[in-house]
Amino acid sequence: MSEVIIKGLKKVYDNKVTAVHDVNLHIADKEFIVLVGPSGCGKSTTLRMVAGLEDISGGELYIDGKLCNNVAPKDRDIAMVFQSYALYPHMSVYENLAFALKLRKVPKDEIDKKVREVAEILGITQYLERKPKALSGGQRQRVAIGRAMVRDPKVFLMDEPLSNLDAKLRNQMRAEIIKLRARINTTFMYVTHDQTEAMTLADRIVIMKDGYVNQIGTPQDLFNKPVNLFVAGFIGMPVMNFFDGCKLLLEDGKYYAEIRGVKFELDEFQQKALKQNGQQPCNIIAGIRPQHVTVGEGQLSATIEVSEMMGSEYNIHARSGDDEVVMVIPTVDLHTDVSMGKTVQFNTKPALIQLFDKESGNNLIWYDKESADADAPVCKVYQF
Amino acid sequence: MKTKMKTGPFIIIMVIAIIIAIYTLMPFILVVVNVFKSAKGEFGIANDPVGLKGASFAQLGDNLSRVINNSNFSFWSAFGTSALITIICLVLLAVFGGMAAWVICRNKTKWSTAIYMVFIASMIIPFQVVMLPLISTFRDVGNFVGLKLLQSIPGIVFAYLGFGGAMTVFILTGMVKTVPYDLEEAASIDGCSYEGIYFRIIFPLLKPSIVTVTILNGMWIWNDYLLPSLMLGQNGKVKTLPVAVQAFVGSYVKQWDLILTAALLAMIPMIIIFLIAQKQIMSGMVEGAVK
Ligand SMILES: Nc1ncnc2c1ncn2[C@@H]1O[C@H](COP(=O)(O)OP(=O)(O)O)[C@@H](O)[C@H]1O
Ligand SMILES: [Mg+2]
Repeated sequence: MSEVIIKGLKKVYDNKVTAVHDVNLHIADKEFIVLVGPSGCGKSTTLRMVAGLEDISGGELYIDGKLCNNVAPKDRDIAMVFQSYALYPHMSVYENLAFALKLRKVPKDEIDKKVREVAEILGITQYLERKPKALSGGQRQRVAIGRAMVRDPKVFLMDEPLSNLDAKLRNQMRAEIIKLRARINTTFMYVTHDQTEAMTLADRIVIMKDGYVNQIGTPQDLFNKPVNLFVAGFIGMPVMNFFDGCKLLLEDGKYYAEIRGVKFELDEFQQKALKQNGQQPCNIIAGIRPQHVTVGEGQLSATIEVSEMMGSEYNIHARSGDDEVVMVIPTVDLHTDVSMGKTVQFNTKPALIQLFDKESGNNLIWYDKESADADAPVCKVYQF
Repeated sequence: MKTKMKTGPFIIIMVIAIIIAIYTLMPFILVVVNVFKSAKGEFGIANDPVGLKGASFAQLGDNLSRVINNSNFSFWSAFGTSALITIICLVLLAVFGGMAAWVICRNKTKWSTAIYMVFIASMIIPFQVVMLPLISTFRDVGNFVGLKLLQSIPGIVFAYLGFGGAMTVFILTGMVKTVPYDLEEAASIDGCSYEGIYFRIIFPLLKPSIVTVTILNGMWIWNDYLLPSLMLGQNGKVKTLPVAVQAFVGSYVKQWDLILTAALLAMIPMIIIFLIAQKQIMSGMVEGAVK
């Protein structure tokens, strides 16, 4: 059992910068948690507080049931993979892998067995005698992961471990981490700014902005039920289409979303949720994922500016009034001419429209007052 | 691409270089030539210090045995003292210099910056300015506190640590800056204590610079005459080689054959080390110059 419980974790740096406000997180044993968010949002700071590399300014950290706020990193039984790999340059790969075990006074033959076993798994056996300098980026990455693996740590921490690799290697290593995870079978905390990595690796994603946690949930949850504009915009490729100047209407006890003058009668579950909240008609920003747009029929129209044939799908950039609309249309569903300059009709299912309050930026359906951080700054429009 | 120099200028430069080399080597050549000769006689050192007539290996053997067996000079004791002082100083300077550099570099506070500035400032002050106050302070410490700093090995080691510390810390601080901080964090997660991080990670990574400062400090401490002559004196029991050579220098009679032979003996260890570590020394000097 090695669950990690984080209660009201807070970090204020010396220069009075509050990098992390009140993070609450309950990581189950053997869970793979990914912290994701734009650069500077406090992901690394959070991870480093768990590692013990930064002092905790407030809140509590429990690892395996033990309060660890003031426990030295070496006594937390955690392992960490750094973005820079941080391999010891004066030691061979073998010595790098064996270092932590040697410090723990593990018998020599046991160290040897463990190091060779891990090297075998990672495919670095033939490099054991080399110095890190003589390895490629991908090989160094493996050594860095191996160094953490030999320890059988309670918690496996990784801070952007793939961001120094080129795109191809990154995809390859991502797949390897998924495979590794099945073998290592421990609790993971993984930091990345790349939503694709987060979506593919995580059991649950913690999405942060400006030091606040915005949402915690499975990749599907974050994709389908984003609590605010920021989460909606950050998760998903291409980015969700946002239509400003829309309205939520209430007529004869039924809610409608009005997008560019076109009324969509909302789905059953949306009706129910809005009713429960006693939602009044208001100004909204409507969000529609590019994958949820259909072309050919519908009352909304747009002029195609760029049309990219990707093989199985078309990526279409179109202009609809002031808004740019991105559409991802499977080739098999496409019966309309989408060449450049054409004006097309497009549509979507009302159930797939996300409704964001214009004032607060929160999702009218999915934002949960109970679980959300009330102090978090209002996120009105998502920007990169 | 190397551009090839024209023959004319090349010859001129070579000639100048050779002249400078001979000029620099002259004292050394004089020593080497004259250890083969006796002090007196027609071709002796006193009458003919540059000629090779009168030089013989038999004379060298004779000179050597007289120097080594001279009871005033007591070669082995002086050699041992020099070696002991040099080695202790080099080890302590390397270990503590590295520590100081590490802490100064990693704890960026007002205090650490101030301490670093003091180190740098102390390099600017010439030794001759502080030597007399230093000796009288050391004497006072001996008289009033009872700590024997003059005429003792710990005393002179203490003084060398002070005089050698500045340059050592200066060079090593430059090196610590090149060690990524990540490595220390990784080590602390892997299980290193604070001291462990220094001895297992930082110190090994400082090695190239440690070699440089050790060679520079070693040449200086081994050859140094002024400080030991002031601190150890002529009449004390503890003498380093350069100081002990004074035994052959009387007010009226200078035994040149013995002085030069003793000087040669004193030089030999440094020459051997230089020949072995030539490449290291050169790159160390260049490194020091660039940084
Ligand atoms: N050592 C530090 N001292 C002061 N501020 C820091 C320090 N490290 C990070 N910060 C600040 O804290 C915030 C969060 O940083 P970080 O956790 O590294 O972000 P991320 O990893 O999400 O990109 C940033 O605004 C950054 O400028
Ligand atoms: Mg970071």
